[in-house]
This record gives sequence, structure tokens and C-alpha cells, in this order.
Amino acid sequence: MTFLSPMLWVIAFRSLLQHRVRTFILGAAIAGVTALLVTLTGAFVGIRSTLLLSATTLMSGHVNVAGFYKASASAGAPVVTNYKKVRAIIDSEVPELDYVVQRGRGWAKLVSESGAQQVGIGGIDITNEPGFRQVVQIKEGKLDDLTKPNGMLIFEAQARKLGVKVGDTMTIVAPTFRGTSNTVDVILVAIAADIGMLSSWNTFMNDQGLRQLYQLNDESTGALQLYLKDIDQVKPVQERLRRVLAASGFELLDPDPRPYFAKFDSVNRENWTGQKLDVTNWEDETSFVQWIVTALTALATIVIFVLMMIIGVGIMNVMWISIRERTREIGTLRAVGMQRQAVLAMFVAEGTLLGVMSTVLGGLLGVLLSVGLTRAHIGLPTSWQFVFFSERLVISPTLFWVLFSVGFITAVITLISIIPSFLAARLKPITAMSHVG
Amino acid sequence: MSAIVTIQDVVKEYSLGATVVQALRGVNLTVDKGEFISIAGPSGSGKTTLLNLIGCVDTATRGVVEVAGQNTAKMSERELTNLRLNTIGFIFQSFNLVSVLTVFQNVEFPLLLQNKLSAKDRKERVEGLLEQVGLKTHLKHRPNELSGGQRQRVAIARALVTDPLIVLADEPTANLDSETGQAILDLMKSLNQKKGTTFIFSTHDHRVMRYANAVVRIADGKVTGRESPQDAVAHEMEGLDTRSTEVRAS
Repeated sequence: MTFLSPMLWVIAFRSLLQHRVRTFILGAAIAGVTALLVTLTGAFVGIRSTLLLSATTLMSGHVNVAGFYKASASAGAPVVTNYKKVRAIIDSEVPELDYVVQRGRGWAKLVSESGAQQVGIGGIDITNEPGFRQVVQIKEGKLDDLTKPNGMLIFEAQARKLGVKVGDTMTIVAPTFRGTSNTVDVILVAIAADIGMLSSWNTFMNDQGLRQLYQLNDESTGALQLYLKDIDQVKPVQERLRRVLAASGFELLDPDPRPYFAKFDSVNRENWTGQKLDVTNWEDETSFVQWIVTALTALATIVIFVLMMIIGVGIMNVMWISIRERTREIGTLRAVGMQRQAVLAMFVAEGTLLGVMSTVLGGLLGVLLSVGLTRAHIGLPTSWQFVFFSERLVISPTLFWVLFSVGFITAVITLISIIPSFLAARLKPITAMSHVG
Repeated sequence: MSAIVTIQDVVKEYSLGATVVQALRGVNLTVDKGEFISIAGPSGSGKTTLLNLIGCVDTATRGVVEVAGQNTAKMSERELTNLRLNTIGFIFQSFNLVSVLTVFQNVEFPLLLQNKLSAKDRKERVEGLLEQVGLKTHLKHRPNELSGGQRQRVAIARALVTDPLIVLADEPTANLDSETGQAILDLMKSLNQKKGTTFIFSTHDHRVMRYANAVVRIADGKVTGRESPQDAVAHEMEGLDTRSTEVRAS
């Protein structure tokens, strides 16, 4: 008789049913932990997807070819000169490409009549931004008005802070790359719904307007952002581009997984002038916030570990009780010819069955809870928005993580149930049969 | 007839803390194939210990226990389990059925452990036996839905389902009323006669001894004699008379 013998499972199932109160309490606890794990993993997926959405819409492609131009050793600017040649290399060397856009990059003070805010500015050619159109949800104004040379788009939270509405005029004050300060008046043409925390400091303006602000020619841009058909191809594309660009005579910065604005100091300390390109990916550009995901993962791991310990002790206790109650039965089964391995399998089957039933139920509950919470459009407090990268709670349970949660907790429960089961199997038939109690 | 059980100079000791208790003190016994034998003696005399050794659920401290020609002292735990499965059937005083299984499943269980018969053959065998013990209509009942006598019949069917050479019964009628007990013994006896299965059962009830071919007397861990059931019953009655006289005199 093996672990797969139907009779063992019949005994296991009916034994659980016979002690239904105990089974229900423990099963509910296991289901609760599973639901929690599904919800937490769903929250991570939600956070990661929101982060990906924010990052790849607002400040990064899947892969970016950007870099710095230095007129003098200590005056680096986030500029790619002669970007059309780079674009031609990308078009010929990256068959994985879906589309590519060029964005200007700037960092300036945005001043309204009632307030001011330091913001990052993306120079955008809206006629060539299919992804941007799909993702950015316009609350007020028109996205197409970004074709106007002084048109500007900001996000809701920024609009509230600056006290502006569509049609208002604002002033941008920015130090140019040549070391002087420049100002330009812009008209707010669109206000978009917030997209996570990254939208709190990103703004967009017409790319010609940005060139005018920074006094750049038409051959220069801030970055070429590559969007791939399959995001999992980021690493090979990134490595290939580094190799091909170097072979084509471009100078490249050493690989550095930080966002471009964190590299100014180190670039300005280096003793070179001219152009150096930098090939980064979306994770590099958002590495400054990825620690949040890491911290949440660690926190959830600890929580799950503690809960599993508690559940584990519960499982052990229930198995002990079950074995104590059924010691005479074990003796009888051993007497009639059941081998030790079969006794072990019988009790492990009981633990496994309890685990499978409870975790499947818990998985379903977790999915329902996640979907329910997401559909409830629960607004998050500002401090939580920082963590969740979204103004609303978004929990996205995936099949992989649901199956992982169910499988992982069932496996742990099965492993835990082996210990008392093993000791039950070691009992001599005569010892077990003469057990009193 | 050839011997199916041979016991030579068997000693069984238990440790109770620092004290060593001798449950059997040099027992010798031979049981032939097809016998319907009773082991009789007062409580604590060693009947159950002797049955446990023959049933290979316990091992002797010293001496030789041979079952179906195999010296049990030289067998591994796995071999002993296989010997129990294929050679011995057990009938317990408290029936010892698996409470969560149906009547059919309880009886089928040893066949599943053997893994020799197809599902169809198992069904045929189990239903045939349950018909013999009068429980064909109770296949799907659970043990707690049966009377004591019915449960013991299920236990008998389970003991016989593998066609064992020996059936061991430890006070099989102790938890039954006299009428049911008699019916159970009739059943065991008829199976013994039809199939030639060796039955060894313990009892201290003289009404039960009448059914045996022979009665082995055991007292203080020693076999004191082997006698016919008529003699055994006569001795029992004498003992009862003596004890009642002593009670009256006191």
C-alpha cells in the first residue's frame, strides 16, 4: 500500500471529517494564511506593475540609450547629440523593438501664481508616443495640445499643489547646460490622472519647447527610449546595444544601475569632455524606489514565516492528538499486516489532504479578496501611495502566485506532518494496541 | 497432522521500572494444522502474551517461536509484518475495526495490503465472506452502526479474508452476550471445519471451552496441561464449586 492508494486517502478524508470541528479550525487558519499570502503576492504584483507602468510611461523605456554631453569637464548635461545616428543603429540592431521615442530631459522649477515645485521635465513629441496615449488618462484638457510649442502636461496632485487648471500660464525657471539660467512661459494644456508616486515630480512639455528652454539643436535629445515587444528581452537587448554602439565608435559610460539624475556628480568628477552614451533599463531608472519592493518582500516573508510557524505548531498538535486517539487503530492495522511505510503514508496523506483542501479554499478566498479590494477603488492615504505607487489599492493576483501559495503551504504542512507520522509508524503493534487513552 | 505453531522454552519478560515481570516462564506448546484450540486460564496467567507471540505482534525474550515453519526471532520487522498479513488472521476482544471505513472496506483492507487480487476478485471474496457471516446486507454500514455481535462477525470476516493458515482470537466472546457469543463460536467452528483453518483462541469461560478440540491450560506463565474440552469444563466446574464453598464457609 503506497501513498497513492485510494484507501489511504479514504481513511485520511474520513478521519478529518470525523473530527470536523478540529479540522475546521485548523483548516480555516491554513486557508487564512494562504489567502493572506495570495493577497500579499497580489499586492507585490500590483506594486511592481504600477511601478513598471509609471516608470515606462513617465521616465524610462524598457531600455534607454541616453548619456551625458560635457562642454567642460565639470559641466555634464543629460543630452545625446547626433541622436539620429544612434536611432539608425537601434532600428537595425534591435529586432525585438516595438517602437522607440526620443525624449528631452530637464530639471526645473515650475512656478504658478500660487505656488512652485521642482519637477523633472520630459520633452515629448506626442504625435510619436503611442504608449503614452494608452497609459496617461487625461482628466482635463487635451493631450493633442501638447503639439503646441509651449504646451505643458502635469498630473492631478501637481495641479492641486500649484493651484492651476487647464489654460493657466506657468513659468519654468531652469539652469541651462551652458551654466546660465533661462525662463520660459508655458500653458497648461492637460491635467492627467496620477500614476503612482513617480507622477508626483514628472511633467511633460512639447519637445521643441524644451529644446528652446535648454537651447538645444534638432540633432540633440535627452534619451532614446526603446519599448520592446517582450519586456523579458531587456537584458540581452541592453548588452547587445552596448556592444554595437561601442563598435560603432561611440564612447560609453561604465554600466551603473542608477537613474540618470543620480549620475551627475560622478560624471562631473570624471576628467573627460564631449559625448558619452549610457545604456540603462527601466529597473536602473527606478532603482531608487525599488528598495520599497525589497523591503515589502522581506516584511511579508517574515510575516508568512511567523504565521507558518504558528500553523506548523497547530498541525503538529493536531497530528499528535489524532495519533494519540488512533494509536490502537495503528496497532490493529500493523497487526493485520500494514507496513510502517504505509502507516507513515496514511498520516502524511491526512496532513496533505488538510493542506490541499485548506490552501485551495484559501487561494480562492485570496483571489476574491484581492479582486474585491481592487474593484472597491479604495483610495490610499498619501503616505501609502508612496509605498503602493498608486493612489488606489491595486492587488493583482496571478495564476503563478496563487499556485505557488497553494503549493508552498501544502508542501510545508506535508513536511510538518511527517514528524508525528514517522513516530506513529515506529510504534510496535503490541505497544500501540495496548495503548490506553 | 503437521505442526503449524511450535513454541519451545519461551520466556517473556516485561520491565516495569526496576522490576522485571515474567509473563511467560518457559512455555512449550505445539499446535497442529486444522486444530480448534482454546488457551484457558485466569486473568494474568499469560494467555494474551502467548497469543501475541504466536501472532508475531510481540517477540519472546528467550526461546523459539515457530509459525508456519519460520523462526520468528530471526525475522525482520518487515518479514514479520508480511507473515502476519499472509499467514495469520486476528480477532480481537474489542473487535478493533477501523471506525471510518465501511464494513466492506474493513474486510477488504488486508487484501489491499496484499495487493494480489483485482478489484473484481476482491469484491467477490469480501462479499462472499460477508454473506457467510450474515452481513451481506450491511456492506456500507460503518462499525458504529452495528451491534457488538455484528462487529465481531466483521472482524471474523476480516481475519479470514486472506485465507490465513492460523486465526488467533483473544477472548472473542468476552464483550458479547451469551447468545451472540455462542453464534460467533458456531461460526468460527463451521469455518474451521469447512476451510481447515487453525483457530487458537483464549478464554476463561467454560462455555467457550466446550467448542475446542483441545484446551491448553496456562497458569502463572506456564502451560500446566493439555486436556479435552470435557475435562477442562469439569475442572472449571470443580473450581467454581470449591470457590463457592469457600465463599459460603467464610
